[in-house]
Amino acid sequence: MNNGAHDKKCEIWAIGGGKGGTGKSFVTSSIGTHLASKGNKVVLIDADLGGANLHTLLGVSKPRNSLTDFFEKKASLNDIIVNCGMPDIGLVSGTLSSLDSENIKYAQKLKLFRQIKAIDTDYILIDLGAGSHNNTIDTFLLADKMIVVTLPEITALENMYHFIKNVFFRKLKIILSAHGLKDMIQDVWKNRDVHGIKHLKDVVEHLMGTSAHVRDIIENELASFKIYIILNQVRSGREVMIGSSVKSVCLKFLGFDAQYAGHIEYDESVLRCINKRLPFMLTHPFSHVAKEIIKLTENLKDGRQITVTADKYANRRL
Amino acid sequence: MPIEDYKKYFDALELSSDAQLSEVRNSYLHLKSLYSNDSIVTSAIAYELSEEKRHEILEQVEEAYAKLADFFTNKDADTAVSEKPSFVVDEELKQYMSGMQSFSGKMLKEIREKLGVNLKDMAVFTKIRKQYFEDIENERFSALPAEVYLRGYIMEYARYLSLDPEKVANDYIERYRTAR
Ligand SMILES: Nc1ncnc2c1ncn2[C@@H]1O[C@H](COP(=O)(O)OP(=O)(O)OP(=O)(O)O)[C@@H](O)[C@H]1O
Ligand SMILES: [Mg+2]
Repeated sequence: MNNGAHDKKCEIWAIGGGKGGTGKSFVTSSIGTHLASKGNKVVLIDADLGGANLHTLLGVSKPRNSLTDFFEKKASLNDIIVNCGMPDIGLVSGTLSSLDSENIKYAQKLKLFRQIKAIDTDYILIDLGAGSHNNTIDTFLLADKMIVVTLPEITALENMYHFIKNVFFRKLKIILSAHGLKDMIQDVWKNRDVHGIKHLKDVVEHLMGTSAHVRDIIENELASFKIYIILNQVRSGREVMIGSSVKSVCLKFLGFDAQYAGHIEYDESVLRCINKRLPFMLTHPFSHVAKEIIKLTENLKDGRQITVTADKYANRRL
Repeated sequence: MPIEDYKKYFDALELSSDAQLSEVRNSYLHLKSLYSNDSIVTSAIAYELSEEKRHEILEQVEEAYAKLADFFTNKDADTAVSEKPSFVVDEELKQYMSGMQSFSGKMLKEIREKLGVNLKDMAVFTKIRKQYFEDIENERFSALPAEVYLRGYIMEYARYLSLDPEKVANDYIERYRTAR
């Protein structure tokens, strides 16, 4: 019997972004802390199986359980959620003892996804690792809200574009497969020279031109595909604008919707705090960083975005 | 044009259809600078950004801004009377005006003020946004629209002040080109 546990919709948010060290784990733990402080039940999942460290950011030195128990000892996901000192926050740790994280079997992956969706809580936040491995992308696609954390640095932006393009591609592939058009994208891509295809948008346009049926499928998907951008480690008002620019590039060049959820300034106390294994949101509740995280969390909750304008930001000091 | 027809212009500027004039303007300036210049945001994805596409976007952004500027002017003008107020030009000023050879923003402003013309009336009458006239006077070249539109606006400005439209526009545009 379902005791109404699923009456209230649980939202899954995934935090990724391609490049390592942008602040994905810091942002995940901080958003989680804020949501919990507002009376929500939150479960954080460390899906960075190669480099799990979300527990450290939450002040847990050695998690009692981890995904190892799920993969190797067949424990259920619900039973390996550990407490982390704050009420209403549970953690599924990603520390693996031996398993090769890239070789998780397909069936195991599906089982994990099924059990993630079944967790009884208000919010599930998934912290992803760096890179654009298929497992990472599939986990990202599991989310109701797909969030990328990037920096005002060309390399971080490069990796982020690469990541979201791969996400989009994979999503298209999955959708087309579901309609019995499994190899369509690969075929188009393989013959891209014949079709005069250079860019991602060309692929989409080409596919849409093949038939009204395919066009409907893709348009439907495009309408709901949305990436939320968080710009971290911002050092000037000018850099704040980068989030708006990225949003525009996604819209105009990649052809899908992106929303600028918010920005977080660079603050040395973040590192100090992490090294002491203290949750930043609780030790620095009145800092700019904390306020910015609160704001962007609220934006994400409501699906709102920020508009920053050059006249207000370009010359502003943080 | 009914408001729905303007939606694509709001879309081009990445705004919702209830955006205010100031938002339209800010977004226009931001997008124009984003796609006219190189920045880390565009360099990081240079392989997806063909020059043609970039150009196409810039044109769309320009067009959207020009169209929306009209949209807002018409909206403002709906309630106002668009009648050109008469003003008297004394002989001395007339002499001075006909002898003018160059027309900087500052000089245009000076003439206008001497004639006692205010920009609001001028905007209502010409159906061109006041902001454009301000930018012309202040020579805020980076904020001004593409040359084809700008020329039209300057000519209207000149005509309103009874200056020679061609002469004023030619001189001003030359200054605009060198500055860019
Ligand atoms: N806003 C900030 N101000 C200052 N330093 C920050 C900020 N955000 C993150 N950092 C620093 O960046 C480091 C990396 O952050 P974090 O571990 O969250 O990144 P990550 O994206 O999860 O990395 P990985 O890809 O390795 O998982 C942190 O240890 C912290 O020192
Ligand atoms: Mg991490």
